[in-house]
Amino acid sequence: MTSLKIFAWLTLLAPLAGTIAIGLLGRRLPGRGAGYLGTAALALSFASAIGALVSLQGLGEEERQVVAVAWDYANTVGVDAQLSLLVDPLSVFMILVVSGVSMLIHLYSIGYLDSDRGYVRFFAYLNYFVFSMLLLVLAGNFLVLIIGWAFVGAASYMLISFWYRRGTATRAGIKAFVINVLGDVGLVLGTFFIFKHVGTLDLLGTFERSKEAFEPGNADLTAGCILLLVGACAKSAQIPLHTWLPDAMEGPTPVSALIHAATMVTAGVYLVARMHPLFELAPTAADVGAIIGCLTLLVAGTIAIAVTDLKRVIAYSTMSQIGYMFMAVSAGAYAAGLFHLMTHAFFKALLFMAAGSLIAAMAGQQDLDKMGGFRRALPFTYGCFAIGGLALAGVPPFSGFFSKDEILLLIGDRGGWYWILYVAGYVGAFLTGIYTFRMIFRAFFGEPVPEARELEQGHLHHAEVHTNPATGEVEDTDVGFPGPDHHIAEREPSMKLAMGTLALLAVVGGFLQIPKVTHVIDHFLEPTFHDSALYERHPSDGMLAFGLVLGTVVALAGIAIAYYVWVANPGLSARVRSRLAALHTVFVNKWFFDELIDALVVRPSRWFGSFAQQTFERVVVNGVLVGGTTGVVKAGSSAVRAAQTGFLRYYAALIVLGMVVIGFYFLMAA
Amino acid sequence: MTIAAAKIVGPEIDWAGLSPLVAVFGGALVVLLLGLARSRALREIVVPALSILTLVVAAGLSAWQWGERTDLIAGALRLDELTLILTVLFCVAGVSAILLSWRHVAPREAAHGEYHALLLTSIAGMIVLVAAQNLVTVFLGLELLSIPLYVLCATEMRRASSLESGLKYLVVGSLGSATFLYGLAFLYGATGATDFGDIAAALRGGGDLLTDPLLLTGIGLTIVGLAFKSSVAPFHQWTPDVYEGAPTPITAFMAVATKAAAFGVMLRLFDVALIDASVDWAPPLAVLAAVTIVVGNVGALGQSSLKRLLAYSSVAQAGYMLAGVVVASRLGLQATVFYLAVYLVMNLAAFAVIVAREHETPYGDDIASLNGLGASRPLLAWPMTIAMLALAGFPATAGFIGKFYLIDATVSNGYTWLAVFIVVGSMISLAYYLRVIAAIWMTPDEQIAPAALTSPDRPVLAGGSDEATALRGQGEVVAVAVVFGALTLLLGIVPSPLFDVVRDAGAAVGLL
Amino acid sequence: MTLYLSILLFAPLAFGVLGLLAPPRAAARVALAGTLLTAAYAIAFLVDFDSSSGALQYVTDETWIAELGISYKLGLDGLNLFLVLLAAVLWFACTLWASMRDYDKPRLFFFHLALAETAVLGALLAQDLALFVVFFDLMLVPFFFLTGIWGGAKRVQATIKLVIYTLVGSLLMLTAAVATGVLAATGPLDLSFAFSDLAQRPLATTSQYWIFLFFAAAFLVKMPAFPLHGWMPDGYRNMPLPVLALFSAVLSKVAAYGFLRICLPLFPDATSHFQTLMLLVALASILYGSAMAFTTTETRLILGYSSVAQLGFITLGIFALNPEGAQGAILQAFNHGLVVAPAFFIVALLAERAGGSEDIRDMGGIAMRAPALATMFLIVTFATLAMPGSSNFVGEFLILLGVFKSQMAIAIVASTGVVLASVYALRLFIATMHNRTGPAVESRELSLRDGLVVVPLVLAIIAIALYPQFALERSEKTVAGDAAPSALATQPGSGP
Repeated sequence: MTSLKIFAWLTLLAPLAGTIAIGLLGRRLPGRGAGYLGTAALALSFASAIGALVSLQGLGEEERQVVAVAWDYANTVGVDAQLSLLVDPLSVFMILVVSGVSMLIHLYSIGYLDSDRGYVRFFAYLNYFVFSMLLLVLAGNFLVLIIGWAFVGAASYMLISFWYRRGTATRAGIKAFVINVLGDVGLVLGTFFIFKHVGTLDLLGTFERSKEAFEPGNADLTAGCILLLVGACAKSAQIPLHTWLPDAMEGPTPVSALIHAATMVTAGVYLVARMHPLFELAPTAADVGAIIGCLTLLVAGTIAIAVTDLKRVIAYSTMSQIGYMFMAVSAGAYAAGLFHLMTHAFFKALLFMAAGSLIAAMAGQQDLDKMGGFRRALPFTYGCFAIGGLALAGVPPFSGFFSKDEILLLIGDRGGWYWILYVAGYVGAFLTGIYTFRMIFRAFFGEPVPEARELEQGHLHHAEVHTNPATGEVEDTDVGFPGPDHHIAEREPSMKLAMGTLALLAVVGGFLQIPKVTHVIDHFLEPTFHDSALYERHPSDGMLAFGLVLGTVVALAGIAIAYYVWVANPGLSARVRSRLAALHTVFVNKWFFDELIDALVVRPSRWFGSFAQQTFERVVVNGVLVGGTTGVVKAGSSAVRAAQTGFLRYYAALIVLGMVVIGFYFLMAA
Repeated sequence: MTIAAAKIVGPEIDWAGLSPLVAVFGGALVVLLLGLARSRALREIVVPALSILTLVVAAGLSAWQWGERTDLIAGALRLDELTLILTVLFCVAGVSAILLSWRHVAPREAAHGEYHALLLTSIAGMIVLVAAQNLVTVFLGLELLSIPLYVLCATEMRRASSLESGLKYLVVGSLGSATFLYGLAFLYGATGATDFGDIAAALRGGGDLLTDPLLLTGIGLTIVGLAFKSSVAPFHQWTPDVYEGAPTPITAFMAVATKAAAFGVMLRLFDVALIDASVDWAPPLAVLAAVTIVVGNVGALGQSSLKRLLAYSSVAQAGYMLAGVVVASRLGLQATVFYLAVYLVMNLAAFAVIVAREHETPYGDDIASLNGLGASRPLLAWPMTIAMLALAGFPATAGFIGKFYLIDATVSNGYTWLAVFIVVGSMISLAYYLRVIAAIWMTPDEQIAPAALTSPDRPVLAGGSDEATALRGQGEVVAVAVVFGALTLLLGIVPSPLFDVVRDAGAAVGLL
Repeated sequence: MTLYLSILLFAPLAFGVLGLLAPPRAAARVALAGTLLTAAYAIAFLVDFDSSSGALQYVTDETWIAELGISYKLGLDGLNLFLVLLAAVLWFACTLWASMRDYDKPRLFFFHLALAETAVLGALLAQDLALFVVFFDLMLVPFFFLTGIWGGAKRVQATIKLVIYTLVGSLLMLTAAVATGVLAATGPLDLSFAFSDLAQRPLATTSQYWIFLFFAAAFLVKMPAFPLHGWMPDGYRNMPLPVLALFSAVLSKVAAYGFLRICLPLFPDATSHFQTLMLLVALASILYGSAMAFTTTETRLILGYSSVAQLGFITLGIFALNPEGAQGAILQAFNHGLVVAPAFFIVALLAERAGGSEDIRDMGGIAMRAPALATMFLIVTFATLAMPGSSNFVGEFLILLGVFKSQMAIAIVASTGVVLASVYALRLFIATMHNRTGPAVESRELSLRDGLVVVPLVLAIIAIALYPQFALERSEKTVAGDAAPSALATQPGSGP
C-alpha cells in the first residue's frame, strides 16, 4: 500500500470517523466541542488530501492513475464491483477543493450555529456529507460512484430538512431527495447500457475497453451517456431537474454554502469530466450536455434578477454558474470547467457566508425588499460580499474573471454552432453582473433599515416572535431549531477567519491559470485527460484578447446598469417591472417549472395512487376477486339449503329427478 | 343358467373364515337375552361391556384370519384382506359408538339389550355386505345392515326429531334398497349370473353386451341404490335430517360405518364384477362424484348445527372417495380404503367431542357449544381442532395423506379434472371447518352457569334431555376423542402401517 | 463437527412442546432458549457451509412414505442458506420481542410460534416436492391460530380470509405437485418427488404449463403479488406484531424461494413460456404496491404495500432467468426480510408513542426526544428504499441488471419503482418522525428492552451493507446452475 493510497483512504475516512465520533459522544462534549471535533476531522482530511497531492506529483506522468482496492463488494456472476478508489489528478483536485472548502465552512458553522439545539446533529451530518462527497469523487468504479452519488443526496436531504419542525423544510427535503433518486436511477440505467458492452464496472477498465467496444456514435453508448447526464442534471440542478435547488435554501446557510454552492452541486460537472472518454465517443450526448448548460445559465440568470429572497438569488446564480461549467466540460473544455468549479467554490461559499451573516443581522429575515444600508453596520460582511460579488461577476483580476473567460474562449474556439453558446455565455455574464450587484446595492446601500440602525448602535436585532421566512408560520422555539439567537461575522472570530480565508482565495484563486502566464491546472490535470482529443487546444491570441476585453466590458456594464437602476435612481426598477409585467411574471415564477412538473408528474401519480386506493382496491381486488367468488359459493349454499326443506315429498321429487337423469344417461349410452 | 342351477349342492363351511361374523351374531344374541335381565347393573354395565368384548373379539379374529383369501359358503362370501380390514373398521366404529352411548339417553329409552343387539346385528350386516360376492348376499347384507339402523335412529323415543329421523331414514332407505334390488335383478338378467366372478367373466368377452340396455339400466339402478346408502348427491337429502335427528352416537356410527360398508360393496361390485363395464359406469360415477363434492361442501357452509355440518361434510367426503372408486384401478381401490379408515378416525374424534358438549352445555349440537372450548376443555378442544384440520386436509394429519393418495390415484388414471374438483371442494370446506376452530379458540368462553343446565327453558335438543344434567364425568367419551384425535395426528406422520394393510387389500382384490 | 439439518428443523418444535408443558410463566423463556439455539445452530451451518460448491450439502435422505414415493429429504445450498439463516435469526428476534410483552395463554402462543418456525424451516430445507408442499401448507396452521387468537379487533374474519386465500393456492399446488410426480414417473412403482429425480425427468411441455400456473398461483398469493393481495390489508391490520413481522419478513420469501427451487429447474419450458407474463405481474406489483404505499396512512399497510412492491422486484429478478437476476433475487429476499422486520418493530414503537394510533396522521415530531430511535428508523428507511450503499441496492442493482439483459423495456419501467420507493419510505419517516408533533404524541427514547431487539438487526443491516459479497459468494455457484435450464429454454444454445 503506497503512501498515496494511504493518504487517499485517510482523506476519505477522516470525516466518516468524525461523523461516528460526533454521533456517539457529541452530546457529552462541552459547549462547541462537536463543532471543533468536526472541523478537526476535516482538517485532517484536508491535510491528507495535500499529502495525496504531494505523493501523486511524486509519481511519473503516466502512472498518475492509481486504484486502491479495499475488498470485493459485489463480485459475482460477471459483475465485478469492488470497493475501490481511483486516485488520479482529477480526483485529487476534487478532494482538495472539497475538503478545503468544507473545512472552512465547518469553521464558519462553529460560530454560526452556536445557539441551535441541533448543533451536534448538524456537525454529524456535515461530516457525513463530506465523507459522501469524497467517496463520490474518489470512486474507482461505477457502483461505488453511485453509492457516493446517493449518499450525497441523502446527506443533502438530511441537511435541507435539518430544521425538521418546518413543514417547508421537510417538503423541500423530500423534493430534493426524490429528484436526486431520479438522478441515481438515471446513473444506474446509464451504467447498464455501458456495462452491457464493456462488461466491467471498473472506471479505468471501462475507458480502456470503450475504445473497441463502441464505434463513435454508438446508439447504446449515446443512450447511456444521456442517462448519465440525467444523473448529472439532477445533482447539479440543471434544467429541467433544477427545481429542488432553490427550495433547498430551507437548510441552514452554511449548508447552502457547502452543499448547494461549493461541492455537491458540482458533482455533475465532475461526472461529465470523469466520463470524458465516453462522452467523446458519443458527441451527441456531449452536445446535449452543452445545450442544457447553456439553457440553464440563461434561465437561472433571468430568474436571479427577479426574485427577492437573498439566498434564492444566490442559489439561482449558482445554477447559472454551474451551467457554465456544464457547458464547458460537455464541450471539451475540461480544465477550464474544473478551474471555474474551483474558483466558484471559493467565491460562492464566500457569498453565502456573507449572506448568512447578513441574514443573522436581519434576525432570520431573507427578503431583499426589507434590507438596505448595511454598509456601515456590517463592514466586514460587506467587504466579503463585495469581493465575492466581483469575482462572481467576473471583474478582473478576481478569480471568476479568469475561469469564466477561459471557458467561453475554448467554447468559441470549437467554432460551428458553438458560437451560439459563446454568445449566450457573454449574455449570461452580463446578467450575472446585474443580479449580483442588485443584491449588493439593495442590501448594503441606500437608507439603513431599522435592523441596520440598531446594529450601528451596537445591538444585534432580535425578533420577539420567530417566524418561518418562507411562510410566516411561527416557529416553536421551545425546540430550538432554528436557534433563538443569531451570530454575525463581525462578532464571531471563527466566522471571520473562514470568510477571510475564502475572500483571499476568491481574489488570488484565478492566478493559477492566467492566459499565457500560468497553466498550473492544465498541467496538473493532463494525466487524467491524456487520452482526450479535445484537451490540448490553443486559441488564437486575437480571440483571447477579444474575449478578455469583452468579458471585462460586459461585467462592468452589468454592474453599471445595476448601479443606475438600484442606486442612482431608485423607483426605476418598479417602473421597469410594470413596463415588462409579463416578462417579470415569467421570471419571478421561475419560468413555471415547478407548476409544469407538478402537472406532468406529481399530480398524475397522486391520482393513480388515490385511484388505486379508493377505487381499484375496493371494486376489483375486494369486490370482484374476493366478493365475487365468495358470493357464488354463498349463493350455492343457500340454494342447497333451500332444497333441504325437510319434507320427504321434496326429497322424493329430487330423487326421482336424479334417477330419471341417470336412467336417461344410460339409455343414451345404450 | 342350467349349469349354475345344477351346481347347487350343500356348501361346506369354513368356520375359521366365518369366525368374525359368527362372533358378532353370537354376541348380538347373547346381548339381546342379557338385556331381559332384571338387575340394572347387568343391563347397563354388562351388556355394553359384553358388546364391546364381542366386537373386540371379532376384530381379533379378523386379525387372526389376516392373509386368508378364500371363498366362504360356496362363494357366497369372500374372505380376503378387504373384508377383514373393513370388518375391523366396523368393529372400531361399533366400539366407539357403544362408548359414546355409555351414559347416553338413547340406550336407556330403548332398553340396553335391544339397543346393543341392533347395533351388533347391523355390524354383522355390514360384514356380510362387504364380504358378499354374490348379488343375493349383497342384498341380504344391505337389508341386514339397514333395518337395525332405522330402529336405532329412533331410539330416543321422547324426542320427536329422533323418531322423525328414523322414519325418514326408513322411507328413503327402503326406496334405495328397492332401487338397488331392481338393479341387481337387471344385472342378473343381462349377464345371467349372480356370482361376481361369473358376471365379470360374462362381461369380459361380450363387446355388445356392454351396450345392452338391460345391463346399463341395471348398472344405473345399482348406482342409484348405493348412492342412497353412501349419501351421494343428489340422493343425499336424507343425510342431514337423519344425522341431526338420530342420537349422536348412532349418527357417528352411521357416518363412519355405513359409509365404509357402502363403499366396500361399491369396490367389490364395480371394481371386481363390473370392472370390464367401466366404460359404462365410470363417466356418470365421475360426474356424480364431482356433483357430490360441490353439493356437500357448499351445503355445509351456512350450518350452525354441528351434526348437520358434519353430515354435509360426510356427503362431500363421499364424493372424494367416489373418485377413488371411479378410477377403477388398484391404486384407486387402495386410496379409497385408506381414506375410509382415515375418515373413520377423523369423524369419530369430532363426534365424540360433540357428544361430550351435548352433555356439558345447553346448546346441544349447536356450534356455540364449542365456544371457548380451547380455554376450558383442552382435552376436547385439541381433538376437535385436529379432526377439523384433518377433514380440511391440512398436512401432518391423516386427512392430508388420504387426500394426497386419492389425488395421486385420480391423476395417475387420467382423472386430473376430478382431482381439481377434490381440491376446490377442500377449499370451500375450509370456510366451515375453520368456523368450528374459530369457535373453539377464538370466541370468548362465556361460562355456562350451572343453573342454565337445569333451567326448564333449556332447548331439548339431541342429548339435551334431563338425564344429561346428571351426567358430569364422561371419561369414556373424552377418551374416545383423545384416542382418535391422537390417531389422526399419528397416521398423518407415520402412515406406513396403514399403507401396508391397504396394499394387501388391493392385492387381494387383484385388480391390474 | 457434523451438523444435522433435522436438528435444526425440529429443535424449535421440540422446545415449543417443552414450553407447552412448562408452567405458563416459564413458557417465554423456554421458547427464547429454543429460538436462540436454533439461530446459533443456523449460524454454525453458515460458518461451516462450503461456498466453493453449488451442490446440496448436509443432505438427509430417508424414505417417508414409500407407497407415495415421498422421501424425507433435506438439504442446504446457495438458494436456501441465507433464507434459513434469516428465518432462524428473525424468529429469535421476534420471540425476544414477544417474550418482553405479555400475551394471554402464553404457552399456546409460543408453541404456535415454534411450530411456525419448524414449518418454515421445513419448507426452506425440503428437497422433496411433496415434503415441501407438506411444510408449505403446515406454515399456515400456526399463523392461523396466532392471528385468530391474539390478533386485532376483526381477527377472526381476517384469519379465515387469509387462510382460505392462501390455501386456495396451496391446494392447487398440491394437485400440481402430485401431477408432477405422477406424470414424471415412468410407472406406478417408481413414483418419486425428490427434486433431484424430478429434474432428471422433464415433463411434457403442455403439462408443464398448467402445473406451472398452479404453482405460480400458490406463490403469488403467499407473497402477495398484485392482484392476489386481497387478504393482505385485513391480515396485516390484525396480526399481532411479532407475527406480522415474521409473516412479512419470512413467509413471503418462502414463496419467492419456491419459484427458484421448483419452477425454474423443474418446469423450464413453462417458465420461459410465461416469463413475460410473470415479469408483467411483478411490474404491476411494484407500481401498484408503491402507489398504494404512498397513499395509505396506516403505518402497517404502508409497510405491507411496500413489501408487495419489494417482492415484485424479487419476482422480477427470478424471472429475468439469468444468474444476475437470480442472485439479486436471493440477496434481495434476505435483505428485505432483514429490513422489514425492524421496520415493523419501529412502527410499533412509534404507535406506542403516538397514543396507540397506527395512523401517520396522528404521529409526527417523534424524533424530538428520541434521536437514537430516529437514527435507527432513518437507517431502516434508507435500506427500505434501497439507497445505494445498502445491501438492498446491490440486490436491486443485480435484479435490474438481469432484467435489463433479458427484457430492457421492463427493466426501465421497473426502475421507476425505485423512485416511488423513495417517496413512500421517506413519507413514512417524515410523517412520523418530523414535522409538528401529532395530537397524542409524547416522544420517548428507545427503551433498552426494545433496543435489544432493534439495534442488533440494524447493525446486521449495516454489516451486510458493507460486505454483501459475503452473501453473494455463497449463493453464486448454485444460482448459476439454477437459472440455467430456463435460460436454455428461453434462448436455445446460450445458457449461462
